[in-house]
Amino acid sequence: MRVSRMVEALLFASQSPLSAAELARAEEGLDEERVEEAVAELRAEYEREGRAFGVFEVGGGYQLLTRPEYAPVLERFDSVPGSSRLSSPALETLAIIAYRQPVGRAEVEEIRGVGSGGVLRTLQERELIEVVGRGEGLGRPLLYGTTRRFLEHFGFRSIEDLPRPDELPVVLAQRTEEGKPNAA
Amino acid sequence: MSDAALAPHPSGPDLYQVELERFQGPLDLLLHLIRNQDVDIFDIPISRITRQFLAAITQVERLELERAGEFLEMAATLVRIKAQMLFPRRTDDGEEEDPRAELVRRLLEYEHFREAARLLEEAERNRSRLRERGYVEVRPAPPLADVPLHTEWSEVWEAVRGLAARLAEPEPGYRFLGRPVRMEEKIELILGMLQESRRVEFAAVVSPWGTRMHAVVSLLACLELAKRSRVRVRQAEPFAPLWVYRRRAEDEAA
Repeated sequence: MRVSRMVEALLFASQSPLSAAELARAEEGLDEERVEEAVAELRAEYEREGRAFGVFEVGGGYQLLTRPEYAPVLERFDSVPGSSRLSSPALETLAIIAYRQPVGRAEVEEIRGVGSGGVLRTLQERELIEVVGRGEGLGRPLLYGTTRRFLEHFGFRSIEDLPRPDELPVVLAQRTEEGKPNAA
Repeated sequence: MSDAALAPHPSGPDLYQVELERFQGPLDLLLHLIRNQDVDIFDIPISRITRQFLAAITQVERLELERAGEFLEMAATLVRIKAQMLFPRRTDDGEEEDPRAELVRRLLEYEHFREAARLLEEAERNRSRLRERGYVEVRPAPPLADVPLHTEWSEVWEAVRGLAARLAEPEPGYRFLGRPVRMEEKIELILGMLQESRRVEFAAVVSPWGTRMHAVVSLLACLELAKRSRVRVRQAEPFAPLWVYRRRAEDEAA
């Protein structure tokens, strides 16, 4: 059985992204590199045949998704509601958390200049952020970070996929370098 | 803060009318005032901006308490900065301190995150154009019994006219008069055909004879059966084939 066919079957049957490591567990002797080759084969094949879907990389995994040009067709059909877009306050709060993580509520509110408890709760309920630790200081405040679901929602492969700091104005870029030693 | 500071400013040349609800918070409003008037953010004319800010938040009572407090706090900050501009302070090493520095830092920081939020929104929009399996969910079709007769008279007549046009015109010169066609026969024929399948195309009812008379009587039979709730007549769109469906009661009987 060809590896690309096995990978295809797994991607087809799964509703959420599967990482190369997860896919490699399908068969003994498979490794991540072989899986990545198989994914490349599938991509080339779908491209050649002009398929309506492709293998996309989101949230650190591979997923079969329909191509963007078919979005209008799907939206006209019986689409499932609820995959709604985020509000401006939610996006603003998420941006702060994404670049400053781990970050507490006080800092978010300081930057936005408005109370953000409700927004944080909503983002947590939608599993876009999670508590990743507790800060120093009074009451040991909860610190938030983004989740894999966050990456999936925005179509980022990993947190390094966030719009590059150099695409953003200067002050933010400096902050991100200081604040995130593990960022690329 | 004194009441005078919050009193509505008489409209002047630089009174800036804004809708307070549009703004996410005081920083958003302040940035709007600065960016929309081409003001140098590193040299904010604090007097003018403060006046405009105060004028804008005279509608503040329309906001809920928490949000109102946030705008008033900023108003207080602006008034304090304005006062400090009049009496500059020196730091320990003798340098003159700009009382606006901290506000400018906050505004720039906020603006940068607002830009980051815009980029996120763009990514979100692109991502929402790719769909995973399960996005489309076919809604169950409503049960047949609940469906009213879809066809309107005009549609039925369209179908009849279409059919009549397709039926061969009789050869000129002579006519063969067949025996009269009875509606009861057609009713039996249609019900008989519906014994074998759930639906039958109207053209199939007529095709063995293919004359105008048979078509007209068959149609009348269909309509009579529809009236008696024995069949349902359905045409998806003008000129589409006309279908005769067995009603649910017939389904159960079959």
